[in-house]
Amino acid sequence: MLSLRAARRYSSARVSFTASANSLRRYTTATPEASTDPATYCRGLVRKHDYESFLISKFWPPELQDGYFAIKAFSTELAMVQDNVSVATIGSVRMQFWRDAVRDIYADKPPRHPVALALHAATQAANLPAYHLNRIVDARDAELQADSYPSSDALVAHAESVSASVLYLLLALRGLGGPADLAHAASHVGTAATLATLLRALPHHALHRRLPIPLDVCARHGVQQEEVFRRGGAAVGVVDAVYEVAVLANDHLLTAREVFKGSGGKVPAAAMPVFLVGVPVASFLGQLERVNFDGFSRQLAVRDWRLSWRIWSGYYRRLF
Amino acid sequence: MSLPRGFLVPVGVFRSVASTHARAFPLSRRLQSSHSHARPHSTPNYLESADGLISDLSVRKHRHAPTPHKFDAQGNEVDAYKGGPSAIDKAVHLFFFTEIIRGMWIVLEQFFRPPYTIMYPFEKGPLSPRFRGEHALRRYPSGEERCIACKLCEAICPAQAITIESETRIDGSRKTTKYDIDMTKCIYCGFCQEACPVDAIVETQNQEFSTETREELLYNKEKLLANGDRAEAEIAANLYSDHVYR
Repeated sequence: MLSLRAARRYSSARVSFTASANSLRRYTTATPEASTDPATYCRGLVRKHDYESFLISKFWPPELQDGYFAIKAFSTELAMVQDNVSVATIGSVRMQFWRDAVRDIYADKPPRHPVALALHAATQAANLPAYHLNRIVDARDAELQADSYPSSDALVAHAESVSASVLYLLLALRGLGGPADLAHAASHVGTAATLATLLRALPHHALHRRLPIPLDVCARHGVQQEEVFRRGGAAVGVVDAVYEVAVLANDHLLTAREVFKGSGGKVPAAAMPVFLVGVPVASFLGQLERVNFDGFSRQLAVRDWRLSWRIWSGYYRRLF
Repeated sequence: MSLPRGFLVPVGVFRSVASTHARAFPLSRRLQSSHSHARPHSTPNYLESADGLISDLSVRKHRHAPTPHKFDAQGNEVDAYKGGPSAIDKAVHLFFFTEIIRGMWIVLEQFFRPPYTIMYPFEKGPLSPRFRGEHALRRYPSGEERCIACKLCEAICPAQAITIESETRIDGSRKTTKYDIDMTKCIYCGFCQEACPVDAIVETQNQEFSTETREELLYNKEKLLANGDRAEAEIAANLYSDHVYR
C-alpha cells in the first residue's frame, strides 16, 4: 500500500529543468518510470486508462504481472484507437500495424513499440495463442468501420471478441487454457464487461455521434439516434433501451456465476485473478440500477469509491 | 393503372411508379398533403392541417391569394383597415424611430464593455488542446526516440509532405535516418499524429514559426526533435486531457 501511494506521488508529471550534458533534452519529465522498460510503460498505460484493471493486477502473482499488463495494455491501446482517429481509414491503418505487429511478435522480431515488446516477452513466458490477439484487432477494426450494432446478437458477438478474448489470453497466461468450464465462464464475464463498458461510455459515444445500443433494442423502445445525440438522457425510450442492455449484461454475469455452482459459487483460487474483472462490472450495474438506468446520469461518471474494497473482498471470498 | 386523385404518395417508394405512368399527377404534390389540394381556392387554414406539416412551398403559393371581402348586413363592403394609420405612418414609427434608438442603445452597450481586441504579439487568445500547429517528434522519458520508422505517417499524408528513410540499428531497433517535413506543403490535417501508433509525431500548439526564407520551413529530424523537447510537458498534458478509456 505504501509503495502504491509513493508511486502516485511521483507519477503526477513533475516537470523539472535538468542541466544535462545533452543540450537537446532540456525539459524532462522526472518520474521513477522514466525508463524504456516496456513492462513499466504498459503498467503506466493501464493505470492511466483502465484503472480497474490496474487494481485487479495487485492480485496477480508478481511474476505474472508483466504479462498481465502487456495483455491489458494491448487491449487498452486498441480500444483507444477510435478516440484518436477522425477517419476510419486511419484507424484501419493502425489496425494493420497491430496485425503486422502480432505476426512479427510470433516471428520473434517485434516492432519497437513498448506494448509489442512487452507482449513478446509475455509470449516467451507463456503459451498465448495468437488467434485471440488477432481476434481483438479484427473486432476493433470492425467496430471502427460500423456505426452501430444491428442486433443484440451482433453486440454480444463483438463483446465476446473484444473482452472475452482478453480473458482467454489471461487464462492462458495463468496456465489454465485447458479447462472448458473456465473458458465458458470467461466468455460470459467478458461479454458482460464489454456491455457494461459501452453503457458506461454512453455519454462519450453520444458526444461523438455513436450509439452503442443495438438497433433492434432501439427500435423496440422507439429510440431515435439523432434525438439521443441531441438530448441525451431526455430522449424518448433511451432509459428503457439502457435497461434492456443492462439486463443482458447482468444475464451474462449470472450465467458465468452458474458455471461455478458446483463449488458453491466459489471460483478456483488459481483462476480468481482472471474473474475479478466481474467485480467492477457488477459494481457498475448496481450503480446504474441506483440511478434508475439513466445512462447519462452525472453520478455514473464518478469512480466508485468502494471498488478497491469489493475487489479485495471478492478475491478472498473467491466470488465475483 | 390510375392512382386516385387524393392519393398521398410517399417520396421514394412510388417514385418509380410515378415516372413510368406518364406523370398522372404533378410531381410537386409529393411534398404536400392531399388535404390542402381539395380546396385550392379558399384561404389555407394552417392550424387545421391534419398532419401538422406546413411546407414553405404552400405558404408561397398562397401569398398572392385575394384578400377575402367582408360585407355587413346591408351588403356594403367593410374595410377592416379604415380609420387606421397609413402604411407610411407605421413605417416611420417602426423603422425610423425605433431603429435609431435601438442602434444607439447597442453603441451605448459597447461603450461600457471591455474591448474585444487583444494586443496580439503580447497577448494571446485561447487555443484548443487539439490545436494543430508546428510539428514535433517526441521521445520516451528515457530520451529514446519514440519513432519506430513504420512510415504510416508518410503513407497517410495527403499532401505528401513527409519523407522518411530508415535503417536497422545494431540492437535490432528500426530508427529513422531521415525524417523531413516540408512545412510549405503541409496542410495541418493532423492525419500523421492520428496514424502514429507510438504517438511520436504530434502537432504542437505553436503557430508562430514564420521564417525569412523558404528553406527554413523544410524541417529535418533534428529540428522536429528539438521542437518535441521544447514542448514535451505541454504535449503530454494535452494528450492526457483528451483521453478516456472504453
